[in-house]
Amino acid sequence: MGLTSLFARRVARSTVAGLFVLAPGALFLCSAHAANYNPTQTSRRNAGTPNSSIVIKNKAGTVVEYGNQYITYSAPPSKLIGLGEALFMENCASCHGTQADGIPANGTVGAYPDLVGLGPATIDFWVVSGRMPSANPRVVEAARRQPRLTPNQALAIAAWVNSLAPSYPLVPNPNLANANVSDGAALFALNCASCHTIEGDGDALASSTFSPSLRNIPAFQVVEAIRTGPANMPRFTGNLSDQQVLDVTKYVTTEIQHPNNPGGFGLGGLGPVAEGFVGLLLGVGVLVLVCYWIGERS
Amino acid sequence: MSDREEHRTPVSLSGLSENDPHLLPLAKNPKTVEGVIAVNFLLGTLLTAGFGACYWINAKPWTLGATLGGGLFFFGVGLVAWGKYLMPRGPFVEERHTLANSEAERDAFAAAIVERGGNVMKRRKMLGGILAGGLGIFGVVAMFPVLRSLGPLPKGTLFHTDWRKGSYVVDQTGRRVSAGDLAVGSIMTVFPEGTQNTDRGQAVDQTVLIRVSNQGFTTQKGRESWTPLGYVAYSKLCTHLGCPVGLYEQQLQLLVCPCHQSMFNVNNGAVPQFGPAPRPLPQLPLYIDSAGYLRAQADYNQPVGPGFWERA
Repeated sequence: MGLTSLFARRVARSTVAGLFVLAPGALFLCSAHAANYNPTQTSRRNAGTPNSSIVIKNKAGTVVEYGNQYITYSAPPSKLIGLGEALFMENCASCHGTQADGIPANGTVGAYPDLVGLGPATIDFWVVSGRMPSANPRVVEAARRQPRLTPNQALAIAAWVNSLAPSYPLVPNPNLANANVSDGAALFALNCASCHTIEGDGDALASSTFSPSLRNIPAFQVVEAIRTGPANMPRFTGNLSDQQVLDVTKYVTTEIQHPNNPGGFGLGGLGPVAEGFVGLLLGVGVLVLVCYWIGERS
Repeated sequence: MSDREEHRTPVSLSGLSENDPHLLPLAKNPKTVEGVIAVNFLLGTLLTAGFGACYWINAKPWTLGATLGGGLFFFGVGLVAWGKYLMPRGPFVEERHTLANSEAERDAFAAAIVERGGNVMKRRKMLGGILAGGLGIFGVVAMFPVLRSLGPLPKGTLFHTDWRKGSYVVDQTGRRVSAGDLAVGSIMTVFPEGTQNTDRGQAVDQTVLIRVSNQGFTTQKGRESWTPLGYVAYSKLCTHLGCPVGLYEQQLQLLVCPCHQSMFNVNNGAVPQFGPAPRPLPQLPLYIDSAGYLRAQADYNQPVGPGFWERA
């Protein structure tokens, strides 16, 4: 019986492999083109093994830290695994299942993302940014909010999920002192601004999705998002080096988050239309009142 | 007729006695109003002087704006209040005289122009001829920049990009893209090697390279070999008006154009599924060479970007 259920789960898992619907509710499960299956292609699972100047392994031979002078990625401490399992059962298992495979107790396949093999940075990002546990699992895209769990609890959950099938990327720790903010600006304009806008305020996208504002995000979460591609954001892996990711992160955490607004108010960086509208509303409105006062007869 | 209504009747200023109600100020307590205006003027003076001081010590720009703007504001309020509340309340009228000349004067003037002016012009036929010729040539020459701004004929350039058989796929820095560079769900903007820093390369050849999962991807008929290892490349130029289609939503598998929200289905040959774009984005055939680099099998099989007159 155990063997049969394991087999059934394998089959179920293979049909959803690669279909990581990270935001619950975004269901587009059209696997009707199985005939085009190409075994050399990969799924979203397992972003790739470290290729870094520093690689530290533990006694068991598992990579616990890798990186370079720009960003170091470290595994969540294994002593947190027990805590992580308890927190997962309490906060996550109702949707993602007790095995973190996206199959809840009622057996719905494909409604919720399979988390196994996504890498600790992915799990950490979703929890530590407050998107998970979701306030409403039916929304198309979970929004950033006040985190329910502490950063340490988020790490613990990431540690437990990663213990099921160790993978990468690990949780990043950027060393912003080595960043080049001017290169970061150019990379931001090319890779990020199309969705997040050149001011980093975010904007509406297709089908009720949106790109979030970047105004209030810690540096390590910026790296996590770039490296893991949460929700509809594409992942940036081999096409951006750690140095380039660090440059972008520095640009986001300095120029984007602390813009120099010579006029005093940024007005959300919405551009000349917003500024003109405010000018029209306030300036012309006040002028009309003044003119009325000047021209008013007794 | 009450006293108040009498005041509202406009009167001529010249015939008023000194104690006419029209000459009284509007303010009930002129002394108080005078004090308020004086305070305004004093504030204006202070702020103007402050502007001078700020300018002298090279203070921050906002202090200059605030002091000068504030000073002028208080002067203005004081002046308007003076005019409104302390000057004679009126209202007064002054009848305007007729502007037009009399009929006879106008006729005489017209006759003089026709007679004398005509004779003068007839005496200088040569000058008139030269001037007319010169202005004619000026008119023709003035058309040159208008015609030149239409630019050279594009001829075949609209039909082809710089992608060739065997072109290496490079990023904006010229680095060749190899098969291991992108993970599934990644996107990058690529160019044929050598054009990444040229205007034409960035305007015409720019291409989005996406690595897609095998799940849900539909290979188009005749394009079976175009997407090695899930690498799919589409022209980055929107087929509507040529904006860069840079918004990639990796769950929805949509490329969104930021200008008019055209949405192209990455999984299905970049067919537009929303918005004004009339055609799918052209797809670039790729292959991976023995060294592992991504290269183009050929140029796009159709013109990229928006439609034009001769496009079939």
